[in-house]
Amino acid sequence: MKVRDVMTRQVVTAAPTDSVQAVARLMVDTDTGAIPIEVPGVGNLVGIITDRDIVMRIVAEGRASTTAVSEIMTVGLEGCQEDDEIDEAARRMTELSMRRLVVYDAGRELSGIVTLAEIVAEQQRAARHGGGGRE
Amino acid sequence: MNDRLWSEAVILEAPDRQLRVESTRDADICLRRYWPVQDGRAWELAREACQRALAGHASPDSARRAFIEAAREAGFDLRAWT
Repeated sequence: MKVRDVMTRQVVTAAPTDSVQAVARLMVDTDTGAIPIEVPGVGNLVGIITDRDIVMRIVAEGRASTTAVSEIMTVGLEGCQEDDEIDEAARRMTELSMRRLVVYDAGRELSGIVTLAEIVAEQQRAARHGGGGRE
Repeated sequence: MNDRLWSEAVILEAPDRQLRVESTRDADICLRRYWPVQDGRAWELAREACQRALAGHASPDSARRAFIEAAREAGFDLRAWT
């Protein structure tokens, strides 16, 4: 089973200068809990922000929702390829203590996000059906 | 895509609520999901203006101006310098 078979295809990004409030609305609108941060006009991916970041670093700390994303995002992105095996992606997440990786296509363009939960769900589905899943 | 920051944020205030909007994309989301009045003429024009700007057929500033009119129509207290 490949990452492409379980990943969430997503190309929406936010800018480092976007407010946390705006990014939270974007998460609601796109039904996602993690958004890669991209420098507008340049296209470089510089980090990622999750709904958990917003809860823990804005709400819990009593900071303003107008705080710029760059102040609370996780700098740097860990990724994998669409062609990678899901077991390999899961191992990488475990090693990095992360719950998601961004996914790049063959042209090294951002194509989505894969989460540990998506991989585990697929592995459980495959186990229930007594096989190794789709090859 | 012209979905990034406007030249100046628009801050909308209502009781127990403050929306700070800084881009056409965010304005479009606010109009669709967080707007108290979704049948006004200015709301309709603002949605169209946002769509045109997001498609690259109009400037972000034109969307911002239409958004401000929709905010007035909806009864928000408005904070914007321009």
